Amino acid sequence: MLAKLARKAFPKSLWLYHCNSGACNGCDIEILNVLTPYYDVERFGIKLVGSPRHADVMLLSGAVTRPTFPLVKRALEAIPAPKLVFGVGSCALGGGCWFDTYNVSGGGATAVPIDYYIPGCPPRPEAIVYGVALALGLVDKKAAPVELKQVEFPIDAQLRTKAWEERNVIYKLLRD
Amino acid sequence: MWLTSKIKQVLLVLKPGKVTLNYPAESRPVPEGFRGQPAWDHTKCIGCGGCANHCPARTILTRDICPEIRILFYDGARCTYCGRCADVCPEKAIVMSPDFELATGDRNDITQSLELFMLTCQRCGRCYDLEIKNAIDKLDLRGYRYDSLEARTVIRRSTDRFAPDVLGATEAFRRPDRIGG
Amino acid sequence: MRALIYVSPLINAAVFLLLAPLFEGVLRKLAAKIQSRQGPPLIQPYRDLLKLLGKQNLNSAGTWPFKLAPLGAFAAVLVVVVLIPFGGRLGVFAGRLDVIVVVYLLTLGGVAVLMGALASRNTFALIGASREMVTMIMVEPVLAVTLILGAVKLRSLGLAAAMPGAAGAKFTLSTGLMLAVYLLALQAFVARQPFDIAEAEVELLEGPFIEYSGPNYALFKYAMMLKQMFYAWLFVSVFLPWIRTGIYPADIVLQLAAMLVVFLLIGLVGSTNPRLRIDQAVRYYAVLIVLSLAAVALAVKGW
Repeated sequence: MLAKLARKAFPKSLWLYHCNSGACNGCDIEILNVLTPYYDVERFGIKLVGSPRHADVMLLSGAVTRPTFPLVKRALEAIPAPKLVFGVGSCALGGGCWFDTYNVSGGGATAVPIDYYIPGCPPRPEAIVYGVALALGLVDKKAAPVELKQVEFPIDAQLRTKAWEERNVIYKLLRD
Repeated sequence: MWLTSKIKQVLLVLKPGKVTLNYPAESRPVPEGFRGQPAWDHTKCIGCGGCANHCPARTILTRDICPEIRILFYDGARCTYCGRCADVCPEKAIVMSPDFELATGDRNDITQSLELFMLTCQRCGRCYDLEIKNAIDKLDLRGYRYDSLEARTVIRRSTDRFAPDVLGATEAFRRPDRIGG
Repeated sequence: MRALIYVSPLINAAVFLLLAPLFEGVLRKLAAKIQSRQGPPLIQPYRDLLKLLGKQNLNSAGTWPFKLAPLGAFAAVLVVVVLIPFGGRLGVFAGRLDVIVVVYLLTLGGVAVLMGALASRNTFALIGASREMVTMIMVEPVLAVTLILGAVKLRSLGLAAAMPGAAGAKFTLSTGLMLAVYLLALQAFVARQPFDIAEAEVELLEGPFIEYSGPNYALFKYAMMLKQMFYAWLFVSVFLPWIRTGIYPADIVLQLAAMLVVFLLIGLVGSTNPRLRIDQAVRYYAVLIVLSLAAVALAVKGW
């Protein structure tokens, strides 16, 4: 019974541990912004803690660089189960602009399994709050893959719209 | 003395009341000029690949699967939302939309792909000036391109005429094993 | 009713255990309101404790002091809660134990925290433990003098010294002086700003508790919450003796309401002050210790 109560209490009281694996600090500043009075994420019960042993969620920011690669893994091991990992920013997603440089291992997913991605460079604090709310189940997912196909040649499309214009738009000719 | 200043501090601090925005319930409109995820308009895109050439994170990939069809793939994972693609596009087909609520559990949810018809030159297969032989102009990657969509990588090979064997070779491309595997 | 003295310790334990997280929630909500934000709901610490109980218990140091320390701290504070005359009614232990036991048990709780911190094999915990030691040393004399004041007035060291006003002592100059000293010292008793040096969150990554996870950490947090409530109760009981009606349930409710006001004061002072360095705190406390000794001298003289 206690286990059931604990499971119910888990999403209402997530404690975050912020792990910066070589980030430029843009995402870190946005994460701190999320705790400020405007975007106050503490109303969801979320707190930022200093030790991974107290945390439930690891917020990973930064493209995982070579020196921090084993450290990120150790930080994740230090978090007691059940745990989640959020990758914040485009560096944690895939390495950002530096995905193929000499010191970067290509994003958070190469070091730790990431459960939720929050894209952005840096993500707005509202985007981070949205990502957290998505993980808690408060909102629905808005991103979806988009596939666009051209069904006619561009020149045909242009001629078609020009013909429509000539039929429907009244051109006022200024004489004189 | 100290006490009165502390009391004044408390009164000052309590004046604004509650400033928390009720965020997931109500959202504010984004500021003007905000750069969210780029959005392509497939009716305007001519498939020049300028956005792919200028992307600093090599997030936009182009692949010619046959002489007439080019796939332009935006893999949003590494996008830094800089807006260079929108600046460079000659047809203004890319617009930085105000979407920023992109959080997801799956990386494939933030991709966009365009399938475009390309007109071909009746004589040589693609309009391309065969007289340019120097290395610098060849770096411009005009011609047919074969970026790997599976490995989400830009492959800097381009051919003057469509080469199905190069296409086949790049289909199986895997990024080299560097740090940490 | 004679049976009441057997039941009242249990009522103490029940009331304190149930309401300690609520008072902590009040503190967090007040801090949020002062920072102009919405803040967590009042029942948030209950959820925190439940969630911590459901996590995996990583035994990172692997030694028995590490495992035993949270139990020791929690047990010590719980026994203190059971002993105190909550609601103006002494329990069954009143004839057998005295206030020295109360001071001893609170120190034991602090030593348990130190034991856990030193068994953690972590440098941050070591620094946190050394600061916690200094804090304990400087806080204990003021606590002891608060209880000894009542003992001097009632001429006995029994547990009634924790409620001297109710037991018949008069509110004199020494009590007034001690009231001021206790209010000035309250923040260090409950380990809040400006005196939360041991658990300095940003500086020391949670200090002595850095290696504790899950259920162990829940026990420590619960022990801290109970300690907070105890100190607020001590203030109400020793220095506000006119808050009593004689009827046991009404007394409990009145004392809880007064404790709530004390908690609001703690929260207010805690949110508007920066944290002091350990040497600044010791200097501040040295003055308070001298004043409290002066209060005892006045009480012995009869004033």
